[in-house]
Formats: sequence, C-alpha cells, structure tokens
Amino acid sequence: MGGNAIKIDYDRCIGCEKCYDFCPMDVYIWDNDNKVPSVAYEEECYFCGICFMECPKRAIDITFPASMW
Amino acid sequence: MSQKIANKVVETDVLVIGGGIVGCTAAWKAAEHGLNVALIEKSKPERSGKTGQGMDEIGIFPGRDGVTTLDALNLYLGGRGPSSLRAANRVLDPNVLYKIFDNALWALDEMERMGISMRYVDGEFGWMPYGSYPNGEPGPLIELRVHWHNVKPEMASAIRKNGIKVFERTMVVDLLTNNGIVVGATAVNTRTAEFITFKAKAIVLGTGDFSRHYNPSPPPCWKYKMAYNNCPASAAGDGHAVAFRAGADITRTETMQPAIVRDEILLQPGQFYLNDGITAKTFNWKGEEISRPEGPLEYLQYFNKGMVPLYQTLEHLPDDFQKRLEIHIMDETPLRLKLHGDRGFNPGKHWYQVAGNRGSHVLSGGIVIDEYFQTTLKGVYAGGECSEACGIGAGGALTAGMSIGENIHRYVSTAPEPVIDKAMVEHQKRTALAPLSVKDGTVPMELECSIRSICEEFAGPIKTEGMLREGLRRLSSLKRAFLPKLMAINPHYLMRCMEVRNILDLAEVHFKTALERKETRSGSSKSQFIRLDYPENDPSLDNKHFCVRMENGKTMIVAKEVPELNQEYAKEKN
Repeated sequence: MGGNAIKIDYDRCIGCEKCYDFCPMDVYIWDNDNKVPSVAYEEECYFCGICFMECPKRAIDITFPASMW
Repeated sequence: MSQKIANKVVETDVLVIGGGIVGCTAAWKAAEHGLNVALIEKSKPERSGKTGQGMDEIGIFPGRDGVTTLDALNLYLGGRGPSSLRAANRVLDPNVLYKIFDNALWALDEMERMGISMRYVDGEFGWMPYGSYPNGEPGPLIELRVHWHNVKPEMASAIRKNGIKVFERTMVVDLLTNNGIVVGATAVNTRTAEFITFKAKAIVLGTGDFSRHYNPSPPPCWKYKMAYNNCPASAAGDGHAVAFRAGADITRTETMQPAIVRDEILLQPGQFYLNDGITAKTFNWKGEEISRPEGPLEYLQYFNKGMVPLYQTLEHLPDDFQKRLEIHIMDETPLRLKLHGDRGFNPGKHWYQVAGNRGSHVLSGGIVIDEYFQTTLKGVYAGGECSEACGIGAGGALTAGMSIGENIHRYVSTAPEPVIDKAMVEHQKRTALAPLSVKDGTVPMELECSIRSICEEFAGPIKTEGMLREGLRRLSSLKRAFLPKLMAINPHYLMRCMEVRNILDLAEVHFKTALERKETRSGSSKSQFIRLDYPENDPSLDNKHFCVRMENGKTMIVAKEVPELNQEYAKEKN
C-alpha cells in the first residue's frame, strides 16, 4: 500500500506468525510461500503496538508517518 | 470465493459476542456453572478489545473510608463521577449502577479465581483515589492500580482452559429471533468469509463502545491513516447495531462523552488525571495558568477570547513521578514510549496541547439493560461499553461480565429449545455477503470517512435543529446511494463493509435522537449534550431517556421513564 509506518526486518523475522495472529485490526497477511508476514492494510493500523511488543525478535518497527504528525 | 461458502451450524447454550473483558469474564463464569459456551471475537481474545495492549488502572469501587455502595451511587449520580455519567444525571437506571458497585468486590475475587493478576506490588492491591475535586484533593471513590499489560493473554488462557469454544476472526452479522426471543446469531469469518449460524438459548453482547461515526485524531488524511486512543475494531458499535436491528432498546444515543484532551502523540487523558490522584496544570498559549476546560462550551469561551491553543504540563511534579509515569505507560500502551522518544517528547517535562472542542466522541449510551444485565430482548444480555452502563471502564466491564455469567444459567435452564427461522438466516447471509459480489463499487473506508465528515459537520459536540436535519438528510441519501454499492474484494474488507453498515445505522440513530432531545442536558459546560437552539435544561426530561429500537424496518423512538432506585437498595446496608 506504499505505507511507511510499519517496517518488518525480514532478516530477523523467524516466521512465528505472532504479528499476523494478534493484530486486532488484521493489518497483516501471511505469505505462505516464504513463511513471513506482510503488511496488507497499513491504513487501518491504529498504532496500538501489539505486533511491536509481541515480536520475539524485535523484527517490527513502528514510526509515525507524516500524516500522523 | 462464493462457491467455497457453506453453511456451518454451531449449537450452544450461550453465545458470547466479543472477547474483551465482558465477553471473557461472562464466558468463564457461565462455564463455571456448567453451561456450554461459544465465544466469537473479531480478532483474537489474546490481544483484542480495549485492554488488548494493556491497562494501568481499573475502577470504580466504593469503599474507601467507609464509603458504602449507596454513597458511591449518590456521589456518582450526584456529580462527582466520570463526565459521561455525571452529565447524564438521572438518565441511567440507578439499579444497574447499584449492582455494579455492589458486586464490584465480589467480581474482584472472581477475577483472582480466574487467574488474573490483580495485585500491584508485594501481593497487595494497589488502591488509589479515583479522580479529584477541582482543588486537587482526592475524591472519595477508589480505583485499582494494576499491571495489566498481559491481562488479555491471561483471560484468553482462562477461557480456553474452561472449555469455551473460541471462534477467532469471526464477526457477528445479526441476531436471530423467533417469536420475540433470541434463538441465536449469524456470523462471518473475516479471513475465509465462512458464514456461521449459531443456535443459542442466550446471548451475551460485550462488543465495546461506538465512536467510529466521528473522526479520530488526527482526521483521516493520506490513505485514511488515523490515530485512535482505543481499538477501532471494538468501536464500530457492532453490538449496539445488532441489538437495535433485532428490536432491543438502545438508549442515550444522542449523547456523547465531552471532549477533554488530545495530544498528537496519543497521550491517554486518564494517565494524567486519574492515576495516583495526580493533577496536571493547564495554561493558555501565553503561559497563564487557567482552569481546565471540562467540555466543548468551556473550550469555546477560551477560543473566543483568543486564548487557544491550551496546554497542560506535569513539569511541576516531583522527579520520581517521571518513573511512575513510565510504568503507567508500560502497563497500558508501551509503544507510546517509543513514539514519544522518536519525537523527542518527554511527557513528564514537556507541554502538550489540550484540544477541548473535539477528541472523545464516544457515544455515552448503549443497549438498555436491567439490574440483571438483561436487555429488553429476551435471552440477550449486555455489559460494559456497549451497554447503557458504559463509561465505567474495565471495572464496570468485569463486574458486568461476572454478574452475567452468574445470572445467565437461570435463564438458560428455563429457556425453550431455540427454533431457527431459516428464511431469516438466508436473508442475513445475503445481506452480509453481498459486497463480495459487487464489482466497481465503493470501498468501505471511503463510505466510513463520508459518514464521519457528515457527523463532524452536522452533529458534533454542539448541535442545532437545522444542522441535524441537514445531516440526517445527507446520511440517509448516502445510505440509499452507497450501501448497496459497498464492495469487498476479500473477507477482510467484508468485515469492514459489515462494520460500515453498523456505523451507518447507528449514525442515523444518533441524529434522530439528538433531534428529539430539545434541551441542553445539565445546562452547563459539563454537558455532554448541547443544543444551541435549546440552551436550557428541560426538567420534564430529567428522568426520561429516549429508547430506540427497530420494528419492521422502522426506527421507533420512545421516551421512557428511568426506574427509581429499588426500595431495598435504597436502605443503607452496613
């Protein structure tokens, strides 16, 4: 979606699915081929930080984009 | 997609809709009584609802320095409770509130039995004063400071252990009724679009508040990005809408909580005012200390004098407060520490803006319940933010949930075997799944943004008849033109389409009931209901509330008398 608020570091991601599993807004989809999450509906993110804190490898970073400043 | 969809039927004694505090506690307690319980949740109970990311304090409890349930009730209704109910003085059934206060300590024990961490430090409860008087002195009610960062994983584990069948990523479509009683509900899986029919003797609604008819902060702009203080998935009014459409009364749909504070970095107002009885100082932009605006009218006075923006600060508080503030934020919204850091913002030292004319547009009403948390539709129970006893927070929610779980088996044991009307199921299925087959239609968020801008412009915190009529006209024409064109390219967007349908129904109800209440409630700046064309309080409406329900597709609004406090409760207990 061209968003820049949620960044996934795929080098760190271990494919545990926690972000995909817990996101209350269902922002993530699961890429079954590569066993990694992908951000599909970033515009629905409300910055609760559940994925950020559940990620066991700190592979997700969340920053405020310009539209939220 | 459509060819994959088959009807799945689930039979259960109790169907709980919503996996937040109310849903989990009600389900857990009902299962303790041996009932067969299913729970549907739009996301996953481990991290869903208002407390999904955590919670730092729960309230409200009577009891400090000999404050009895009745004292608490009088204090609450008499003007020292949270603004959402204070202004609604005498339009909430006092018996409901009485039961919430009276059962609060019992519910607390039940929470511990459920395995939820309730102790603060060294195995002790973290009691603290709830709110403060304008002079900063702590009030007589109390609340509980908790480290509830992981309350939802704890609750989810408790309900799964108790054998509750949890349906994740499942959203309610509508309730099923037969001869005036509830017999189940229909739902859709939001990742597969599987349509599920639940056959149930009783239903519990614990779906959260309704606030998505107004703009969050900041308003949607690029790609609709927006900041909410609470989870928008639990603010779509799903429970309100399904109850309303099934013929249950909902009330106080014209009112909303007055706006108080917003900061662009998503500070939670509660963290500053309530916890530890700490009060922030308020200043105008010139740096002159002023009293905090309690609502939109008071803010408007500052605005008219050119004194805005207004700011608040905690810089006068001792240094150790900085650490305590950090712990509060860690308990409730840990990401915010990081976002503060990114912007170089220090919540203990820097000023933050008070936006008094907008902010919290949460509906301060909900589904009508009696003191047993039963709605006006037989077999349906409701509690927490979606019920009329909203605005009490997690403490009110857990007490409601535990009480429902305690009461519901009595109803279930006498309820008739539910008989499902197949035509009703088919109708609900067609309505719910229709957006999947619409091509070149309207995406749900576009329609939702349109509803919001109409509500912002024509209703808002300060209302007049002409603006309300025009807004209602626009909403109704929007509904006619675009509801049938709602398009879902996948099950995820189908969920958003179903939410928009709920939001649209409730936004209309909001306008219709706001037109009916031709007065300004409480007549002061603390009002949550302001009509510029009727600036006075109408005493004839003092103990009346507008109950709204749908009957044969028509919206029925009836002004009903609010019950008096039961004589037995009115007698002081010692």
